[in-house]
Amino acid sequence: MSLISKLLRKNTSPARIAGFALSNFIGLLIVAGAVMFYIDARGIWDDDDSIVNTDFIVVNKKVTSASTLGDRDVTKFTKEDISELQSQPWVRRVGEFSSSDFRVYASVSQGGRGMETALFFESVPDSFVDMKGSGWSFETGQTIVPVMIPKDYLALYNFGFAGSAGLPQLSEQLLTGIPLKLYMRSEDGRKSMSMEGRIVGFSNRLNTVLVPDSFMQYANSQLGSDHKEAPSRLIIDVSSPGDVAISEYLSGHGLEVAGDKSGSSAAYLLKVVIGIVVSVGILITLLSVFVLMLSISLLMEKNRSVIHRLLMLGATLREVAAPYNMMIALGCVAAWILSVVALLLLRSFYSVALEGLGISSDGLIWAVATGTVLALIVIFVNIVAVNRKVKSAWALKMNNA
Amino acid sequence: MTSRIEEITLDALLPRVFAREEMSSSKVWRKKVVLRRGGRYLVESASGGGKSSLAAFIMGSRNDYEGKLMFNGHDAKSLSISDWQDIRRSHIAYLPQELALFPELSAIDNIRMKAEISDYQDMSRIEMWLDRLGMTDRRDYLAGRLSIGQQQRVALIRSLCQPFDFILLDEPVSHLDASNNRIAAAIVEEEAERQGAGIITFSVGNPLLIDNPEKLNL
Repeated sequence: MSLISKLLRKNTSPARIAGFALSNFIGLLIVAGAVMFYIDARGIWDDDDSIVNTDFIVVNKKVTSASTLGDRDVTKFTKEDISELQSQPWVRRVGEFSSSDFRVYASVSQGGRGMETALFFESVPDSFVDMKGSGWSFETGQTIVPVMIPKDYLALYNFGFAGSAGLPQLSEQLLTGIPLKLYMRSEDGRKSMSMEGRIVGFSNRLNTVLVPDSFMQYANSQLGSDHKEAPSRLIIDVSSPGDVAISEYLSGHGLEVAGDKSGSSAAYLLKVVIGIVVSVGILITLLSVFVLMLSISLLMEKNRSVIHRLLMLGATLREVAAPYNMMIALGCVAAWILSVVALLLLRSFYSVALEGLGISSDGLIWAVATGTVLALIVIFVNIVAVNRKVKSAWALKMNNA
Repeated sequence: MTSRIEEITLDALLPRVFAREEMSSSKVWRKKVVLRRGGRYLVESASGGGKSSLAAFIMGSRNDYEGKLMFNGHDAKSLSISDWQDIRRSHIAYLPQELALFPELSAIDNIRMKAEISDYQDMSRIEMWLDRLGMTDRRDYLAGRLSIGQQQRVALIRSLCQPFDFILLDEPVSHLDASNNRIAAAIVEEEAERQGAGIITFSVGNPLLIDNPEKLNL
């Protein structure tokens, strides 16, 4: 260690540096912790079922008396409707729902008990379904069809039907393990096929029984009539889900959004709380930067005669500033290391609780990245301040008598 | 400022605070004086004659003067911060009147600090100077705990720990007895001779005893 830093360190109080490191640590922890929690728990309040992205909305035309009375085409989307939608500025892309052009019967038999129901299938383009590695695919020759049903169906069964009919309640895990026997028959009854279905997911947003698009095309080609029906529902990828223009357009055109839960007050509240926590964290970090700058200023003011003597001996501005910069960097690095350790601890506390809700693994990375960027900003700002202070010590000396 | 400073020229130099005063008796203020490398100068003045101001002008810590100060013909006011740092590190050695030691460091650390800044390597010479000035047994004392006379000797040795073209000594022996004064003068003369440097010493009555200095009254 050079004698200059030995000298300047003798004129520095360690408590001051520790105080700076501590306030910096608290600021970093609050900001990075909030970022981590937000990213990790995003799935909970984003109303995202991890299957369909939140940026997608599903729309259909309002069912009116006319459609009930037989004119089903009233609720279909024409090509003009779709291209008009496509031209809206908030629309990234539009996907059509394909319906099954055949009859579907599904049956379950478990432990001697059996259930059978008439069913229908719909599909959307695969690019709208986000189920990485969950077997959301179908190739010709495959005997198992992945199926996705709305969460609400399960709730209806569990809390409405099962109780009154004396049937057991079913969990999601249990259901995904049960094979469904699917019997599909063409409208005219001439052609049919049997397959096995497996429920691979439950959706909040898509109120339909969904199968992969490739299966739908295959089954329709096998069992359907060649007549292709216009879609009655569309899935839209929107650029800004909260945009008022969207709701104005939709209500103006008599369209309804399915499964719209974006107004959920709990999610909104959580977002507000996280926002407040992040702002407080940023405020504390800013304050700690400010406190450090003030205390460095004071310290250098106090050490002005020492700095003057060093400069008179021919020490360069850099040589004089270096020990201060080193103290700042050490304080910041210490605060950074502490905050990473604290983040790991924090995460181990809540990760168990969030496990079942589908915790994302990105939180820690983003938190550490945020902390690193903040720490670098703190170091940079303070080093600039120190260098300016040393330079100003020189300038003042030149002008004052 | 990589080459040596051959001459320091004071051209009609005058501290701004003296602007309204008559300076006719001064051989320096408002006159043209050329201080040459290798020369020996004794600047004498009464208290308040402005000798510390002159030292501060030459060392670049003040520039509140009228007239011109030049190194090798270059105006001192045009020098950059790094030029001044270079001058202080390796062209002009300086012992200020107030010594400017660091009381929280030991005597030897004060000297080493200067050696470190000026990248001066010759530690055996430093030990020899300490010995000749009777400071060897005080080398590890904190500078703040030494007597003024002892501090003066430490500061003198410190000022010598660098390459220099001129050495500026502001009342270097005010608290030394005659024998220490002679030893100090001998050391300064030897070192100046070895480096081919000029000596500029200031005094208000107890001058450093160097041989035949050119006397300049402020």
